[in-house]
Amino acid sequence: MRNLGVKVDIKKSYNKAEINGKKSTKKAFMLDINFEMENELVVLFGPSGSGKTTLFKCISGIIEPDNGIIVVGSNVYCDKDKKINIPIQKRNLGYVFQNDTLFPHMNVRKNIECGLKSLEKENRETRFMEVLDLLHIEELETRYPAQLSGGQKQRVALARALAPKPEILLLDEPFSALDTEIRTKLAKKIKTLQNKIRIPLLFITHNLEEAFLLASKILVLHGGKAQQFGTPEEIFYNPQNRHVAEIFGVSNIFDDAYVKEQDEESRSTILKSGSMQITVKYLNCRVRDEVCWGIHPENITLLSPESGFEDQNENLYLASINSIINKGPKKRITLKLVKHNKILNVEVPAQFIDPLKLHANDSCLVKLEMSKVVAFYCF
Amino acid sequence: MLDQIWFPLYLTFWIALVSSLLVLCSGVIIAYIFARRDFRGKKLAEVLITLPLVLPPTVIGYLLILLMGKNGFIGHMIYNVLGTGIMFTWQAAVIAAYTVSLPLMVRTTQAAIEAVDKELEYAAYILGRSEIETALVITLPLAKRGILAGLVLSFARSIGEFGATLMLAGNIQGKTNTMSISIYNAFQSGNDELAKVLVLILILMSLLAITLTGRFIGKLEA
Repeated sequence: MRNLGVKVDIKKSYNKAEINGKKSTKKAFMLDINFEMENELVVLFGPSGSGKTTLFKCISGIIEPDNGIIVVGSNVYCDKDKKINIPIQKRNLGYVFQNDTLFPHMNVRKNIECGLKSLEKENRETRFMEVLDLLHIEELETRYPAQLSGGQKQRVALARALAPKPEILLLDEPFSALDTEIRTKLAKKIKTLQNKIRIPLLFITHNLEEAFLLASKILVLHGGKAQQFGTPEEIFYNPQNRHVAEIFGVSNIFDDAYVKEQDEESRSTILKSGSMQITVKYLNCRVRDEVCWGIHPENITLLSPESGFEDQNENLYLASINSIINKGPKKRITLKLVKHNKILNVEVPAQFIDPLKLHANDSCLVKLEMSKVVAFYCF
Repeated sequence: MLDQIWFPLYLTFWIALVSSLLVLCSGVIIAYIFARRDFRGKKLAEVLITLPLVLPPTVIGYLLILLMGKNGFIGHMIYNVLGTGIMFTWQAAVIAAYTVSLPLMVRTTQAAIEAVDKELEYAAYILGRSEIETALVITLPLAKRGILAGLVLSFARSIGEFGATLMLAGNIQGKTNTMSISIYNAFQSGNDELAKVLVLILILMSLLAITLTGRFIGKLEA
């Protein structure tokens, strides 16, 4: 049978008064998400309050969407037009919550066995040993949650979620409470796990590194809406709008630009941004369209002032340094494009910038690599 | 004299035991529904259940007579089925004790259930466990201390019940004279010795109840 993957197309709105059924200071909120995925690892990425967890609650059945459909594999979880909304218990999914939800009064074995009751009795023990082995937690079998470290807890939670052989796995910032080192280790573990079990896996994070490490695709959320869906590189270098660019750390964004010229031959687009001219990757738009452009602070190259002159056709500009902040292995430099009155924030590894011996008020040359500059319609 | 102590003591314990069992079964269910369900009239139901906590026991007794008497809604049904009334029996004393102690159980248990993280229940649902199973295996075990505290409070309240019991079960020697009522009788008839002994017994029992409750509630907060 063809594997159908996952299809989600739902809407859910909250009035101001409705959130949690109590008076709330939160604003009215509308979740409107539409995406499809295969047996792959998709990272949901977005700021807090963007609807990531609400989406998970809809998929798992904790919340019922107002309308739309949710299909996982060959099972329709929810189809509001056909009045289908399968109860939580009948949806075969694994869910690891952001907070620790191991049952505190049960040991690891009992916790995992909670998800094995639907299996035939003689298969339970085999499956139990399988998931212990899968997550390398054999030695924790008789411990209680209070006796586990943060990393161990999340591994047990993963084992418990995987025990009933779910057809989709939802992980809601499972590692947010852990140290960076364990976090990276577990993220790698998830990656290999996904290769082994081959089920659709959705992973919420707002850690960009984690997103890049894990994702085969990223779904960017903002304000309850899916902003962009694609591979990490695709989104990072071609954000579709300002929200996406900002979420991905592009802090230098200028919205005063328009398209001056389309160069079909070299597949590039020339923008005019105030007095400044900048060449970017070919942008699918018309001449004179108003657009935004931006660049990630770590993608800006600084050159010594002796190495040349301002050359706008080469995206090479003269700048003067406002301030340099030491961030350990990195330096954060704020500089001003002298002729265009534009401020840029730059982050460079200290080893690249130290030999230039730059100080505040010094001048330098700035290179904005065409392939690294992003451009998009403002809204 | 021994007989005058023994019967009220036995009767009081028996009534408190039966009442507490009823309170435990119904109180936990009511508390769970209050804590986890939303329905129309929930606020009203909560107020009605809590009302005996603030009403004078004689008023409760009077209202219960209206309900349980031969012409009352429930009393009439009982009379039709059993062929006899329920007033002035130990069962009537159980009803009085049950009514006044139920709110203590419901309030304490409801608070304890509300303190259980809902995500734990969702986690159990997602693992395929039904709501009843989850309540029995996850929610109630985690609210255990609150339930026990509520039970001890209800039991103590049942033992001390006087006003509503007097109204509903009367003051019949050898039939419905509980400890509290016997103390009143002994004092009225000038039998100070007996009154003192009964008072002492009740004080000791109450101290025990408070110590137990204190321990449960202390653990609950820890």
